[in-house]
Amino acid sequence: MIDHSDRLLMRPLDSVTSKQRVAYGLAFFVLFVALWSWATFGGHVSKTFLANPLTMVQEGYDLLAKQGFLFDIGMTIWRVVGGFALAAIIAVPLGVLMGAYKPVEAFLEPFVSFARYLPASAFIPLLILWAGIGELQKLLVIFIGSVFQVILMVAVTVGATRRDLVEAAYTLGASDRGIIRRVLLPSSAPEIAEILRLVLGWAWTYVIVAELIGSSSGIGHMITDSQALLNTGQIIFGIIVIGLIGLLSDFMFKAFNAWLFPWRLA
Amino acid sequence: MTTLRIEQVSRTFPARHGNAPTRALEPTDLIIGNNDFVTILGPSGCGKSTLLRIVAGLDRPTSGRVTLDGREVTGPGADRGMVFQSYTLFPWLTVRENIAFGLRERGVPEGERNKVADAFIRQVGLSGFENHWPKQLSGGMQQRTAIARALANDPKILLLDEPFGALDNQTRALMQEMLLGIWERDQKTVLFVTHDIEEAIFLGSRVIVMSARPGRIKAEINVDLPHPRSYKIKTTPEFVQLKERLVEEIRTEALKVAEHA
Repeated sequence: MIDHSDRLLMRPLDSVTSKQRVAYGLAFFVLFVALWSWATFGGHVSKTFLANPLTMVQEGYDLLAKQGFLFDIGMTIWRVVGGFALAAIIAVPLGVLMGAYKPVEAFLEPFVSFARYLPASAFIPLLILWAGIGELQKLLVIFIGSVFQVILMVAVTVGATRRDLVEAAYTLGASDRGIIRRVLLPSSAPEIAEILRLVLGWAWTYVIVAELIGSSSGIGHMITDSQALLNTGQIIFGIIVIGLIGLLSDFMFKAFNAWLFPWRLA
Repeated sequence: MTTLRIEQVSRTFPARHGNAPTRALEPTDLIIGNNDFVTILGPSGCGKSTLLRIVAGLDRPTSGRVTLDGREVTGPGADRGMVFQSYTLFPWLTVRENIAFGLRERGVPEGERNKVADAFIRQVGLSGFENHWPKQLSGGMQQRTAIARALANDPKILLLDEPFGALDNQTRALMQEMLLGIWERDQKTVLFVTHDIEEAIFLGSRVIVMSARPGRIKAEINVDLPHPRSYKIKTTPEFVQLKERLVEEIRTEALKVAEHA
């Protein structure tokens, strides 16, 4: 037994209770707002560059109540979810095929690895040329930013399926199709769900960039407009909204995954 | 009637990184008849698992062939059920679903396959655990499920690769009795690989002793102990005599391995 009587505040890898976890998490937000207040109310930073928390809340209320910001939020969410869903529909099956069949992997992997490093935002001018400044262009930015990442990560996950499970399935009479449907897919499914959760987070950064250029709606569009008016309160409110939506979608994704894959937590 | 023929089967693993090729198994012959319970006994690295994997179709022999009822083995199939040393239950399936895996793959309707699965759950003493995930089971329970999963497919021959190797002694003894009980009742053709001398005698009707690498069959010993066998048989003079003989056989092989290491 390790004697904890003289324990300090923390020890390596020691666990915390869930109450403590929430308290610590909240504490940082409080600290963050406190520092922000100190910098702005205390006059250490000029109003032109950084609005104080109160102004931010007022501007936020104004945005929501009078300027139809909810519509912008809705547009942005639809773009993220739309582009991301499009990417997932194509990337997950491709990734599974690559992970399961080595010739397919050898055929696609070099190109996908190359394409993965192409910055999605650099495609925006090209995409505007091809698809105009409509919704399709926004969806394509998200799509390009997510699809190659998902393909590669899914391929690696499927390729790393436990060999002994595959062998066991073969000795139970499984066909090649059965191996994919009833071993590779279910054993990789939780990891694939985690990959999607991760990449959805990245998709949010692409959508804002896409909306900064050639857009007439969305959170990113509002931020560019506010920049022209030097309204830092609105800009910060927009950024915080993105963060909150991200936090919420992450939470929902996690809860959904836990419900979908109870055998992992058992 | 089931007959498994192993004819001149050898296995050489190809050279890697400039090392010489490894001869894991010398050409080996073995015939296993209907309802035979054959145990293969040998020190680690004697090629006994390689031989079993070739029979299962998970590995290909470098020379020779394996036939089951006259048909050559070219790959894994449901006619040869396998239980592995590592825990290979599908973690996303419940105990019942794991046991019904092979039946489902064959297209057996759900009601029927659940009936079969539940019968085997009772047989291996897991009633009440039908809907548990493998993660919630102890090692012994997982291997019991694995045995039930292999049996539910009604294979012609059951192959076991040190299935109790990772279990503690008490659990292992209980598992041996359970497996033997199933065999005594239902009669099955069984090929069982182990490095445990007592286990090989207690379970087997025949013990095949294999030599150290490269593996080949060194001795074949009939175990004429009466059935049904209970754990008490392990202390009878006949059992002890067999054990002494096998200890000598294995010891010389283990020494060879130690010298080469």
